[in-house]
Amino acid sequence: MARLFCAVCIAFSGLSAAAKAAGPVSYADGVTLIEETDRESTSLAVHYTLNPHFALGYRTEWDRRNDVLLNGARATALLKRWYGENYQANAYLSLDVGVANGVGPNPSNAAPYIGAVFMADWETRRWFASYMAHAYEAFDAGSNIAHMARVGVAPYVADTGALHTWLMVEVDHRPDNPNEIDITPLVRFFKGDVLFEAGWSIRSNQPLVNLIYRF
Amino acid sequence: MIRILTAALFLAASPALGDHKPGHDHHGDDAATKSPDGGDSAAATPAAAGAPTAAMSNLNEAIAAGGELIVADVLGVVCDFCATAMNKTFAKRAEVAATYVDLDTKTLSIVTKPGEALDDETITKLVTKAGYKVAAIRRGEAALEPSHGAAKDATDDAAAH
Repeated sequence: MARLFCAVCIAFSGLSAAAKAAGPVSYADGVTLIEETDRESTSLAVHYTLNPHFALGYRTEWDRRNDVLLNGARATALLKRWYGENYQANAYLSLDVGVANGVGPNPSNAAPYIGAVFMADWETRRWFASYMAHAYEAFDAGSNIAHMARVGVAPYVADTGALHTWLMVEVDHRPDNPNEIDITPLVRFFKGDVLFEAGWSIRSNQPLVNLIYRF
Repeated sequence: MIRILTAALFLAASPALGDHKPGHDHHGDDAATKSPDGGDSAAATPAAAGAPTAAMSNLNEAIAAGGELIVADVLGVVCDFCATAMNKTFAKRAEVAATYVDLDTKTLSIVTKPGEALDDETITKLVTKAGYKVAAIRRGEAALEPSHGAAKDATDDAAAH
């Protein structure tokens, strides 16, 4: 619980700038499917946007490092959006609640878990910067905390509907991981309703694979 | 895993993914075509000759059929998800025949069905519902003028809504 509190404090302290590529909040009645794999976990989520400021979703995550399987609901609020002629910036807060189970060598039985995520981003058609902090506390089953920052550049500015390509670098800090800090170069492809990212963490030697589809 | 990633990267970059989908109204999934003046006149683009993409063709066809062209300058438009959000939101309206979002000029072009109307207040509400903010709405001759860009930056405090 202390770790979760700490994560929320870090998130709200605004130590870093800004979000993730595309948050779960989209347009009213929109559905967003998100798959995320990083050096510690793999998750799959589906979110329904009730209005431009709020989305509800179901998410399942396999925390591979702690051998914990999380299944629960996620509520995401768009706290604020800054609109510019040539940029957009967002701040999101997500809260999770659900059931955690130990898997593999983790003998823990089902236990409730709570989690929180803060995301912020700033992007133009050429530049991108984001920050995210997340943590969960599953009591006996385990816990996790992480925060990450990312910068990116588009080598060319693509038109509407064309293939958009981004070159990015993500730096993440996970206090409980033997490799506390890692760097992941990645490439993002973005076309129409689909966003795909692939990268590889330098120190942990693990893949990053993210896929977002908006219906 | 490396093989899977390589295959995925190849597929994502495949030219086949760039195929257009003719006949799909309301989708921003066709590459925008520059207007004759070099791309800064999105407002003029819908009616401009030489706009070969399906979405542009749909706009031109809707105008030729007697629909009204309305162009909204929109703040915060930086990616295809923005275009998708507005296209899909407006596609649900019975008054709308075709839409196109131009990332270059940050404009949303709307063509109504013949005899149908869409007032500024409704357009502003729909853009807001899509998650963005209208800077200006232009009709008639003004809709054909080059975009002057969004008027100013803005913030949107979610709590205020």
